[in-house]
Amino acid sequence: MRFLTLMFSTFREAIAKKIFLGFFIIATIIILFFLFLINVDSVEGMVNMMESSGEEGVRQLVTGFEVGMINLSYLLVITFCFIAVSSFIPSMLEKGNIDILLSKPVSRTNIILAKFLGGVLLIFLSLTYLIGGVWLILSAKSGFWNVPFLYSIPWLTLSFAIIYALIILIGVTSQSTILSIIVSMFLVFVICPVLYVRETVIFSLVTNSTIQFIINFFYYILPKPGDINQIITDIITGSPVKSYMPVYSSVLFMFAALSLSIFYFRRKDY
Amino acid sequence: MPVISTKDLTKEYQSRTFSKDKILALSNFSFDVKSGEIFGILGPNGAGKTTLIKILLGITFRTKGEVQIFGKEINDDSYKLKIGYLPENHRFPSYLTGEQALNFYGMLGGMNRIDVKKKSDEYLKIVDMEKWRKTKIKKYSKGMLQRLGLAQALMNDPELIFLDEPTDGVDPIGRKQIRDVLTHLKNNGKTIFLNSHLLSEVELICDRVAILNKGSLVTSGTVDELTSVSDTFRFTVSEVNDDLIQSLLNTYKAVIKSQKEFTFRAETGEDLNKLIDFLRQKNVLILGIEKEKNTLESMFINLIGSQN
Ligand SMILES: Nc1ncnc2c1ncn2[C@@H]1O[C@H](COP(=O)(O)OP(=O)(O)OP(=O)(O)O)[C@@H](O)[C@H]1O
Ligand SMILES: [Mg+2]
Repeated sequence: MRFLTLMFSTFREAIAKKIFLGFFIIATIIILFFLFLINVDSVEGMVNMMESSGEEGVRQLVTGFEVGMINLSYLLVITFCFIAVSSFIPSMLEKGNIDILLSKPVSRTNIILAKFLGGVLLIFLSLTYLIGGVWLILSAKSGFWNVPFLYSIPWLTLSFAIIYALIILIGVTSQSTILSIIVSMFLVFVICPVLYVRETVIFSLVTNSTIQFIINFFYYILPKPGDINQIITDIITGSPVKSYMPVYSSVLFMFAALSLSIFYFRRKDY
Repeated sequence: MPVISTKDLTKEYQSRTFSKDKILALSNFSFDVKSGEIFGILGPNGAGKTTLIKILLGITFRTKGEVQIFGKEINDDSYKLKIGYLPENHRFPSYLTGEQALNFYGMLGGMNRIDVKKKSDEYLKIVDMEKWRKTKIKKYSKGMLQRLGLAQALMNDPELIFLDEPTDGVDPIGRKQIRDVLTHLKNNGKTIFLNSHLLSEVELICDRVAILNKGSLVTSGTVDELTSVSDTFRFTVSEVNDDLIQSLLNTYKAVIKSQKEFTFRAETGEDLNKLIDFLRQKNVLILGIEKEKNTLESMFINLIGSQN
């Protein structure tokens, strides 16, 4: 009960943060866009496609929208949601606030876990709203019910959870919202994309094998949201998934970041 | 069995991250708080009072020493079910209303939904905050925050209550109300552990006090023990001449305040009467004899002042 109270307190905090409201407004606009504007029958090219390739064409169009949606949702999550959750830990650790919290019969491990799971559940529900809404409308309009698209909800949630664990680690150690945002954004927008294209782009520029080794090393230990997005896309479009290694290693990273956060938090004087 | 018992409690803070310099916030502090008493800790700023409370609550970790609360080592969090705490300069999430904050902290304190509802109503009334229950905390004044903090500390019906500067920022009427609440709690057998700078207030409600300076225990005892300066008497007399003053100074070791007033330390009643006889012999008119009593404040200032 105490754990759940703490977990759901993140919901109220998120709602109080106007930025999270932004996510919902945009999600709602996207859903309305699909509801009113995308009319499968009236899209000119669409009709032609249906005539030429029939049901297959509809499938392709719908899957195309869905893949686009995943990239869009991913972008929304890492901008709006990261910024919204980045302040959870630092604001909890503020002097005077953390004192009361720690005087309650809740263990420090549970405090971190509750904040983590609360944030993850929050994003899961938000993604369910956005992706579930779009899926319902697209499917109802096209008659093509592509269930694998819904799998992107847990997958994107996982992507979020991996980076959120890092945000928690930075929040606990630095107590700074700004730093949490900067580091996670830098990781997601700069480091990860660079590592993602290391074989195709970077290694053709950098031929020194030691540097290549170092780059590879970071690729393997850091989270791999790009690869995970590719895996989600493969699942939706029905293409075979090459390797689940990016998932395992990213999840490992998540557990490592969480464990470190808990380790640090349990020893810290407030 | 004492409710709180510490032995050689020591706390060293790191002065900065990665620095080897230490700040000694508490050093070999041993004391007991008995069940059902109001215990006050006094001390100048930075003496280590807040640090002491934080160690007792597991917010900060001791460097060495022993702590027992309710007769048990504080290894897990279960003792916190029976504890209430009002930190100094506490801060609630400002987007909550007063009522929501009480609900949240009540639930975290292990209460169920029904009790939380009942108790938050009750305590909002006690701290006189009913009018403000639906108002966001960010709009509260300092004293209002303090009242809400007190309600938060008391609502789970704790056996042991820690209050760090409970009347900070509260107006005189509010302070009186808070004192009444504390007395009421004491009458119901609760133990209260209090930090305060307002010595006149401590004097009014604390059964026992300990004085802390630079992390060490200076003295402790009941308020009466600490304030009654033993056996010093203040004499008011008709004007005495310089000769007499000399003999008062030399023979009787009196402290002369003016030509009409001096104090005298008498070990026994006999000593006191000898001085009276002497004065009467010299035809001095004794206008008054009073036993001296310090205020807690003057005692405190003397004690701490002499240490610094
Ligand atoms: N987190 C911390 N890190 C380092 N030093 C600290 C920390 N908290 C307190 N101190 C130091 O420990 C000493 C005792 O501080 P403490 O807050 O216990 O004093 P206090 O008696 O409560 O003072 P006040 O009356 O001003 O509230 C001070 O020298 C303070 O600088
Ligand atoms: Mg203090």
